[in-house]
This record gives sequence, C-alpha cells and structure tokens, in this order.
Amino acid sequence: MNNRELFEKTKQENRSWLLEHEAKQVLQNMNILIPPSKLVLNEEEAIESAKEFGFPVVLKLMSKDVMHKTDSGAVVIDLSNEQEVKETYIDFMRRFENIEIAGVLVEKMVKKGLELIIGTSTDSTFGPVILFGVGGVLVEAIKDVVFRMCPVTKEQALGAIGEIKAKILLEGFRGQPKVNKDQLADLIVKISQLAWENREYVTEMDINPIIANEDGIFPVDARIILK
Amino acid sequence: MIIMTARLENFFNVKSFCVVGASTTPNKPGNVVAYNFINSFPGKTYLVNPRGGELYGKKLYPSILDVEDEIDAACIIVPAKYAPQALEQCGEKGIKNIIVTTGGFSEIGEEGIVLQNQMYEIMKKYNLNVIGPNCLGIYSPALGIDTMFLPDSKLKRPKSGPVSIFTQSGAFGAAFIDQLSGLGSGQWVSKFISYGNASDINETDSLEYIGEDSDTKMIIIYLEDFKDGRKFMEIAREISLKKPLMGIKANRTETGAKAGASHTAALSSNDAIVDDLLDEAGILRVITWDELADCVLAFGTQPLPLGDRVAIITDGGGAGVMASDMVSDCNLKLAEFSPDVQKKLDETFPIFYSTGNPIDLTGSATAEDYRDAFEAVYNDPNVDAIINLNIPCIPDLDINDYVKYTSEFAQRKKKPFLTALIGGEEGTKATNKLLAEDIPVFPSPGRAVRALGLLTDYTKYLRKHGVDPKSIHVED
Repeated sequence: MNNRELFEKTKQENRSWLLEHEAKQVLQNMNILIPPSKLVLNEEEAIESAKEFGFPVVLKLMSKDVMHKTDSGAVVIDLSNEQEVKETYIDFMRRFENIEIAGVLVEKMVKKGLELIIGTSTDSTFGPVILFGVGGVLVEAIKDVVFRMCPVTKEQALGAIGEIKAKILLEGFRGQPKVNKDQLADLIVKISQLAWENREYVTEMDINPIIANEDGIFPVDARIILK
Repeated sequence: MIIMTARLENFFNVKSFCVVGASTTPNKPGNVVAYNFINSFPGKTYLVNPRGGELYGKKLYPSILDVEDEIDAACIIVPAKYAPQALEQCGEKGIKNIIVTTGGFSEIGEEGIVLQNQMYEIMKKYNLNVIGPNCLGIYSPALGIDTMFLPDSKLKRPKSGPVSIFTQSGAFGAAFIDQLSGLGSGQWVSKFISYGNASDINETDSLEYIGEDSDTKMIIIYLEDFKDGRKFMEIAREISLKKPLMGIKANRTETGAKAGASHTAALSSNDAIVDDLLDEAGILRVITWDELADCVLAFGTQPLPLGDRVAIITDGGGAGVMASDMVSDCNLKLAEFSPDVQKKLDETFPIFYSTGNPIDLTGSATAEDYRDAFEAVYNDPNVDAIINLNIPCIPDLDINDYVKYTSEFAQRKKKPFLTALIGGEEGTKATNKLLAEDIPVFPSPGRAVRALGLLTDYTKYLRKHGVDPKSIHVED
C-alpha cells in the first residue's frame, strides 16, 4: 500500500493513528531504512522471523487499544533465543486476551546507541513543523530540541542538527561512535517531506527513539497521528 | 524570481493624499493628521469633512467624491460606524490605498467584527490595499508622510535616519517613536508602519516593503502574532542577509503546547517554535523594551565586529567582573592582547593598575589613562570590539576630557566601541553629552555588553551564510 492508501485505510477503520508496523511501512515507502521486522499471528511465525533476523529480537504487541506500548508492557526487548520468543508471545496473548490484537511485531533489536527524536506537529501559525533533538523516554523532560518549518532543505537540517545543546553527543562522546550527520540530515529532510506532502492527513508524528550506533541510524519506534 | 512591487510602496510613493475626517477641532485625530500633511507633505493634500468650509487655508470637501483630481492614497479618521461608508466612497473615487486609523473593529468583539467584515467586502469589491483599522498608520519624515494622529506636542517625531519599524501594537509604536525622538540626535527613522488589526496589510507585507527599501538600513519589529508566518520567515531569511532585522515577538506565554498523543506535540509550544524560526531566519530576538533602543544605538552608530574578542576597560573592578560575566553569557570572548600591546600597557600604567583583560585603571584613573588604554587596544589586531566602562565618581578623572576621548574613539568606527557610564548626576550629564553626538552609551555594563553580543550574533549569522559583515552598513 502507498502512504495515501495507508492513511485512508486507517481512517476508514475509524482509527486516528497508525499502528507501529503501519507507520514503519510509511517510513519504508519514503525510502527510510528501518530495522528488519515482521507482523506475525502465531508463535511459530514469531520464532521463524526471529531466526531469520538473528537474535536478539524485540516483540511488540500491535493493537489499536494500546498506543503507549512501553507503559502497558506491550514491548519486550532483548529476547535472545527461541524459547524466550515463544514465552513472550504466549504471555502477550494471555495478558491482552480481552483486546483486539492486529498481531505481534517481531523486530531485530538495534544495538545500543545515542537516542534521538525526529517528530512533526501542526502549528496554528506555521503549519507543519519538524522537531529534532535528544530522544528517548526522557525527551519531554530534557527538552533539547530544535524546530523548523516543513519541508526543510538539507542545509536547514544540518543547521538544526548543529543547534541542539547536546550536540557534543553527536561527535563521539566518551567512546560512543560519531553520528553520521549527513545521513541524519537526510532522514530529517525525508520526514519533513512526509509531513508536508501528507499535511491533509497527518497532524503529529513521533519517530522516537531513533538509535544512532556504529551500524547506522535506525528509527526504532514510529507513531503517526492523523487529523 | 519575479520582482513584484511591494503593496506598501503604493502608500509611501504617493503624489496626492486625502485626509477623510479632517477635523476643525484642534488636536482631534482628524485635525492632527490634516495638519501633518499640510505642513510636511510635498505632494497635494485634500481634506474631507461633511460640513465643508476651510481648514488651515485649505478647502474642506464635503465628500471624497467631490474631489475632481486623482488621489493616490487616503487616511480615514472617522468613527468606526462611518468607516465602511468612507471606505466605499474611496473605492468609488478610485483611491486604491487607504489607511484606517480608527479603532472599534475586530479588537472590541462581536459588534466590531461585523463592521470589519463590512470593510472586507468593500475592500474585495474595489480591490483596495488597506492598512489598519485600529492603528497609527505610517510615518516617514523624509517623505513628509505622517498619519500619526497624536499632536507633536504629545508625541515627538524623530527625524530622518536609517531605521524602519513595523508594529502590530499602535501604543508600542507611539511610545517607541516618541522614545527615538529623544534618543541622541533623534535622527533615526526612515519608515514606520503601524498596521493594527491587519485586516489587509500585515507584518509580512511590511517586511517585504522595508526589506527592499534602499533607505532602510536596519529593521525593528514588534509582533504579537503572525498573519502569514510561513511567508514572513521565508522573506526574513533573505532580508537578514542584507540588513539587520531585530525585535520583539511578545505574547511568549501563550500556551500552544497541548497534551497531544505525541512527544512532539507536547513540546510544540508556539513560542518554542517561534524562537527557533526567528533564530533560523536571522532575526535577532530581544525580550525587553530597553534592548530595542540599545539595538538602535549599537547598530545605528557602530560597525559590525569582525570577531568575538572583546577588550574591557574599566575604573572599577566590580563593573569589569560583571561585564566579563556578560561577555561569556553573550557567547563572546575576552581578548588576549597581542604581546606588543600588552608590553605597551605594562609600560604605560603604574604597577597597581591591572593590565590584563579587563584593564582595570582603578579609582586612580585619569581621562588620559583611558585615552592611552583606548589607543593601545583599539589598534590591537587581537581585539574585535571595545567595552568602555566608567564609574565617574572617582577623584582624578576629568569627566569632560573623558567624554572627549570616548567620543573620538566611538567615531573612528573601525571596531564597535560601546560605553557604559554608571552613576548619578555626573554620569547622567556625561551620558547626555555623548548621546547628543549619537555616541552609544548605556547605563550598565550588562546592557553595553548585551548590545555588543547582538552585533556579534549578527556577524556570526552573516558569516554562517557566507556574507561578509563588512558589506553591511547601517551607520553612515
């Protein structure tokens, strides 16, 4: 499905936001590299996908009734063998038996790294704006973010990257790998285009965390909220 | 790019002007504006008053439609309820550019909104350009245009100069204009635009016009919100590479951020966004009113620094330390003097003066000590700007000589030279003498350094975008 179709389908199902696997499909349609993942419907499929991607993996429950997955215990990380995948799958089915489930997303776990956020929202004055900054669960407490109007040019994206207070973290802070700013800027440009081109559908977007590690830059979670 | 004439050009570049509501009662708004035009406007002025008769030796036309000649622009100064009719007649007469200073429209609620909507209909029907309503309109001393309806006895007019201003708030505009008239020589203003309710002409039109106006060398803005924020930022990005653009975006606590479903929405308070966008567009944002006049003094009289290295000269340790703190707060650096300059300073001054940076001439300082210190650091290639601090109550300092030396160095204009005079009567007298020559003087070390910080921020912005700060000239 192309992005427009994904948004239309979500609206037809009376949902105001895309499930993570749908949001990741949207990113993929923008040629954004995401960690290997697959939506599965039983534990055999889960194990098969995990083996295909290589351990460790992460299991996430996909349900329109669970938006804040971490808060609901709908994300289990660092599953390092078939047994753990199977147990987690069964545990999900038991704990969430009373809600409508779209499936379980099996995803190759991204190695630790610097957690960043790219998001968009709709400002009453400026329309779609993009935010870049330090991500993770503490994003709202740390508030180290920079805004630009969508869409941004690569030059503007690079400028924004250079403006966060913690920019030293991008330079390979205390033995961490250096973040590829060029690649990061491309990602900001693509997300800003996504928000701009689909402004009649999308009101908010959180790509958080985006993990930057020695292998590259990976959107690990994605949330797209429709108008 | 298609070069289009900014719509405001039609208001300033006029040969004939009509005052609708020219009152015969002294100091009434319609009387003041009529007086302004008759006294200053080099083109033809027409006055309209339904009662007819004469005012200041000019015929009062009972209606706009009675005027036979063509008219380029008009100012409507009648009570709000009569404004739509006056606007309609302007339209019929073929006047395309109209300023409506009267209040009592959308800003007062329901009843006013109805009136403003009537105005919109007329504007559309005749394809009019309208400034206002609820505004002071426009002022340009060089062009003899002045729709500010407060008499000169109350609101003093600054003379012609490099600064153009546009403001959403008329009261801010009146106060700031009045202030500029009393700042130094009072020669500051090129174009002033107060657009009030922005029913048509708004902040973006204003920026577009004065950005391209060759007489405008720097721009000061006062905004509370944007009518066309996206375009404003796009235009500002271009203009800020040609002339400094600075000002206040008030209404900072407006709560745009809501508990949205995303972190991004939760972080997206309108002011956080505005702050970043202003910064990116090269608009120097200041927060307090006094910083605006400080900007006019600093940008209007001194060149941009070519670097961030500051020399501080003081006669008081405390003032020097506070200035040094502000230097780092403003992302500036204390200069390290070059060896020969350091040697010169060490040889010139007694052992108990501090010849590092800040140079502390102590309470024993004389005006000549200041002069020698200025001379040494002004020519040091390691120094990009000078902060000259003086607490004038010390015994051996001849304040008149100090004023003379300060004035001389501030007028060299090779590097920014900013002064703070701190104290009571003696300081105030010296300040007034210096300001009369448009020498930038501030009442505290912090304000002097902060003004330098803004000059330097602009240099940095220009360099980041590949523009040579030497290409920007505000001061003559």
